[in-house]
Amino acid sequence: MSVESPSSVRKVVVHLRATGDAPILKQSKFKIAGTDKFAKVIDFLRRQLHRETLFVYVNSAFSPNPDELVIDLFNNFGFDGKLVVNYACSMAWG
Amino acid sequence: MSEAQKQVWEGAIPLQIELHESEVTTLPPPPPALLLAPRIGYLPLLISLLKPHFTSTLPPGVDTIWFDYKGLPLKWYIPTGVLFDLLCVEPERPWNLTVHFRGYPSNLLLPCEGEDSVKWSFINSLKEAAYVINGNCKNVMNMSQPDQVELWGSVLNGNLESYRRVASKLKLGTFDDEYTENTITDSTKSQQSTGDTDAVVQVKTGRIPVRLYLWTVNEEFDDFEDAPQIDNWDKVSYINRPVEIHREDGKYFSLNEAIKRILPEFFLDNFSVSEGDASIDLDAREEGESSSDPGSSCLPLETAEIKLVRIQGIEPILNIPFSWVVNNLMNPEYFLHMCVCLKVSKANAVQ
Repeated sequence: MSVESPSSVRKVVVHLRATGDAPILKQSKFKIAGTDKFAKVIDFLRRQLHRETLFVYVNSAFSPNPDELVIDLFNNFGFDGKLVVNYACSMAWG
Repeated sequence: MSEAQKQVWEGAIPLQIELHESEVTTLPPPPPALLLAPRIGYLPLLISLLKPHFTSTLPPGVDTIWFDYKGLPLKWYIPTGVLFDLLCVEPERPWNLTVHFRGYPSNLLLPCEGEDSVKWSFINSLKEAAYVINGNCKNVMNMSQPDQVELWGSVLNGNLESYRRVASKLKLGTFDDEYTENTITDSTKSQQSTGDTDAVVQVKTGRIPVRLYLWTVNEEFDDFEDAPQIDNWDKVSYINRPVEIHREDGKYFSLNEAIKRILPEFFLDNFSVSEGDASIDLDAREEGESSSDPGSSCLPLETAEIKLVRIQGIEPILNIPFSWVVNNLMNPEYFLHMCVCLKVSKANAVQ
């Protein structure tokens, strides 16, 4: 389950998985505040991979709207205590 | 198809659109464009109507169309009807918008490359909704190319019949309408079993994808004209939480209950007081865990009152069956969009 920090901001564990020819990150699991938008995950990946164009999916299924809250995505689509986010440099799942 | 559904699909907002003054290079300035924008459509799709109207006056450059209302840049991925319901508390007809073809505010809006971006956003929302309903979105992913084209075309053209023909293949179903058959509580008919079979009351569930646009006020207002203006997107919470329709025998699940279930942080108290059922208590506790711990104890002191609920331009009475609302008022991507205004005040405030 997600972890409560002392300040009671609920943190979500995001598991980043490369798809296709996308480079694999050294560290694949990160904690992020549930109140953050999904855009923050996308920006993080862009900076890590130095790429402007990136396709980011949840559960190898769909690309959430960047305005969606991480906590909503975790509650709706997370499992085993984490939110699985796949990233690809070209469109992976139309 | 129901009459309400037809009306939703035929619904349109009359717009009066001015070109932003910084992009006017001719004298006199061009007259505003008047047009009807479909409720279920998206603003960037209006470019084919707007471009010819303003093209002769635009300064040189590349077109990236965007809109603002009283200076607030409008999010293009929100259906036009929802934007109107949310931002025009006192409905204004025609709705006065400003169009821009230059100077895209990339710091405030997601990039939009015209129809392709809108279609991408629509299909992904549809996949997300399918995932909420079925636990996967295989049916959307496996859609044939012609079906995808037909589905998107039906939304572009507001063709409900063609939409229903192709959308029925997605097997996302409609949800049992309690309005017409409010006595059936046969759990064997339920496709998604809750695993809660030992519960005393048979509860039928179905997960409904909901996008709720929430804004809160602290002050009382009686007239919508006095309602505070939403002048910043930070004032609107974009909440994506599915609702399970809980049905107990004979008693339908209302819109009011749905809203309270989506927003437990505002209605936690009402929950445990008004609903005695043990399984519902458990739900509430699980949901509320993060917000009701001692560290954030300010929340239970707050009371919230639903000031306004607007769905497809309608302000439904709150005890309407939620299943009716879903089956009749959802958007084509299977999300129900609700604009909700809450009045929040401290319960212990000195009177």
